[in-house]
Amino acid sequence: MQVLKKRFAPKNRPPFDRVTFFASTVGLLAFLGDWFTVRPNRLAPGAGMELVEAAGPLVFAVLLILWHSGLIFSFNYYRRGFARAFVIMSVLLPSIILFLVGGVAQSLAVQAGESGRVSVGVGLWVALAAAFLLASVVIPKYSPGAGFRSLAWLTLVVLPVILVASGWLSDFSVLQEIAAQGSRFRQEALNHVRLTGIAVLLGTIIGIPFGIWAFRSQRANGAIFFVANITQTVPSLALFGLLIAPLSALSFAFPVLRDFGIRGIGATPALIALTIYSLLPIIRNTFVSLDGIDPAMIDAGRGMGMSRTQIFRRIQAPLAAPLVMEGVRISAVQAVGNTAVAALIGAGGLGFFIFQGLGQAAADLILAGAIPIILLALLVDTFMRLMVAAVKPHGARL
Amino acid sequence: MIKLERVTKRYGNVIAVDDLSLEISDSCTCVLIGPSGCGKTTTLRLINRLADPDSGTVLVRGVDTRKLKPEDLRRSIGYAIQSVGLFPHLTVGANIGVVPSLLHWDKMRIKNRIEELLQLVGLPSNIYANKYPNELSGGEAQRVGVARALAADPPILLMDEPFGAVDPLTREKLQTEFLHIQRQLKKTIVLVTHDLDEAIRLADRIGVMKAGRIIQFDTPEAILSRPADDFVRGFVGTDRALKRLSRMIVKDFIKPVSSLRVGQAISEVRAAIGKQPSVWVTDEGGQPLGWLDREDAQHGKSIENSMVKINLSEIALNENSTLRVALSRMLGQGFRGLPVVDSAGRLIGEITLSDVEAATAQRES
Ligand SMILES: Nc1ncnc2c1ncn2[C@@H]1O[C@H](COP(=O)(O)OP(=O)(O)OP(=O)(O)O)[C@@H](O)[C@H]1O
Ligand SMILES: [Mg+2]
Repeated sequence: MQVLKKRFAPKNRPPFDRVTFFASTVGLLAFLGDWFTVRPNRLAPGAGMELVEAAGPLVFAVLLILWHSGLIFSFNYYRRGFARAFVIMSVLLPSIILFLVGGVAQSLAVQAGESGRVSVGVGLWVALAAAFLLASVVIPKYSPGAGFRSLAWLTLVVLPVILVASGWLSDFSVLQEIAAQGSRFRQEALNHVRLTGIAVLLGTIIGIPFGIWAFRSQRANGAIFFVANITQTVPSLALFGLLIAPLSALSFAFPVLRDFGIRGIGATPALIALTIYSLLPIIRNTFVSLDGIDPAMIDAGRGMGMSRTQIFRRIQAPLAAPLVMEGVRISAVQAVGNTAVAALIGAGGLGFFIFQGLGQAAADLILAGAIPIILLALLVDTFMRLMVAAVKPHGARL
Repeated sequence: MIKLERVTKRYGNVIAVDDLSLEISDSCTCVLIGPSGCGKTTTLRLINRLADPDSGTVLVRGVDTRKLKPEDLRRSIGYAIQSVGLFPHLTVGANIGVVPSLLHWDKMRIKNRIEELLQLVGLPSNIYANKYPNELSGGEAQRVGVARALAADPPILLMDEPFGAVDPLTREKLQTEFLHIQRQLKKTIVLVTHDLDEAIRLADRIGVMKAGRIIQFDTPEAILSRPADDFVRGFVGTDRALKRLSRMIVKDFIKPVSSLRVGQAISEVRAAIGKQPSVWVTDEGGQPLGWLDREDAQHGKSIENSMVKINLSEIALNENSTLRVALSRMLGQGFRGLPVVDSAGRLIGEITLSDVEAATAQRES
């Protein structure tokens, strides 16, 4: 009776922390699936292995206990002292999982032999996703201070990176595929970042003036948004395709253009298409941000004797900046994904591995392209959110 | 200084200002009053060229405003807009400093000016200068708006309901402060309000507006005693007589009185009273303590024993109070006459109900 009573939360508090509970449950469900797939060679179908049979009872028990701690915490989240310990646990959990399965993969690889492959099974994917989800929920909610929180985020990201870089996980087939690509991988990753970055930069340089124009001129507004909206509805693949014909015609008509890299396929059409795609969010946000400024601000500025340029520089630009930056963020995240498709017209980028993998029916090669793209998108998103916060004027923060 | 000649301003089908002529002389406070939508704000905006007239001319300091660069004109005219319009991304101090910085004042001068102005509108600069507008109450924001309009010390001020959002007590204080400042600075002010009492208190001239026209442009006294038509009469209301009293100052109506000091010998006292029914008694410093009736003086042994004591703060009037306050004090306390004191609290005279009546009658004619 006594024990039971203790487990109920005090009055006015929800009985348990729902998100923690959810993430922990998903983490536990992961134990039902296969954690590893072992294949005799790179392309052959493989056999699934559950965690117990692959890793033995000890590793199994450790992970099971750690996941249960999440369940226990979700019912005791309000207790002093629990929070700090649990934040630490949830920050370390992804790395603990990676460390343990890395060890398992190494022994499985030895058993599988020279050409055998060990890859990540559904259960392990789910477990990793749940672990990162748990940490990303728990860190902002339960960290005892700002410094602690920053350190927690840093640890969450850096430890897995170290594990990957150290080679501890290199027996997983995805990493083997990457390693097999050698410098090609680094080159395409760089290519990807470059294509995305240039496209978003061009999109920003072109989009902001168009947004301002749309705000200033009623007539331009209709035309600009009509065109910008159309570009967004054309599937990216179709747009890439559409650009091939006119550009190759152009380069045949004026061969000198080819010296500047202007051809039907390659980086030029990709950049053009990617830039066009990144325009709409930036134009739209620029327009909305300017349009949303209280007309009394402009009136006050005019009444004080500011010129049009002064009103723009001193009032409109600083007030519009956060929303414009938000548009750039949306464009950038979107561009990371769109650039993957650009590989189809020979522009390179991480999409190259995806399409190559599709061609060879090599699932690991597809992942070798897809996972870095996802990570890059997350990275860009985080960085751009910081930028948005940085340009937010102090008075608008409360 | 400011002259509108047959000015008309249309917005589509709406005639916001209709063939309006108005002349405001130097150092004059002109208050525009009238129902919502009658064109008060538009009239202000015609003066600083935030609106350009469809016909007619606006002259500022004798110059047709169309001949001036709008920016230069506006920098020489302080404008407190109706919706306050503080810039949310700038601190209170930076908001006030906008026009001085447009005029390229040096940093130190701007900083000093900000402190000075915040002091003036009753917001201590050490607390308020670094706050952001979203940390201010409506009334505080309005005061910052007024300070911002004053920033570059412009000779002309346009104020659109500058005290609209403050509580009656603060408003009263700001009005007093306004009058005080205006006596020193002698600016040419056009102020818009919905509050007739405010208009009567602050204005040298009141312009009563209706549907884009000025129905009557006159001194507050004249507006109250000789409304031009039924509209103005209705606007001024049936308590015109009372309203008029709020423009009259007790100081101008007091009569000197003889008084006694505590400690004077009772025989002296009897002689001093003579035929008067009663006399005010003060302490050595001249502060009123109470009064002495003639009958009590005849039988009493000393002033202290025979006098009726008063509560100074409830009875005595300050010489700068309005006759309206005097009248309400008399009615409230049931006295026909009240002692009047100067700012140091010394008795300087007396005002009676018949003086107030006489004042009303005299201006009525
Ligand atoms: N920029 C504008 N565009 C269209 N109509 C306007 C504009 N400014 C004012 N008006 C119209 O002109 C008329 C006068 O407006 P104004 O703002 O001068 O009134 P007001 O006397 O200041 O009213 P309030 O006391 O409500 O502030 C109103 O009918 C208003 O709708
Ligand atoms: Mg108005």
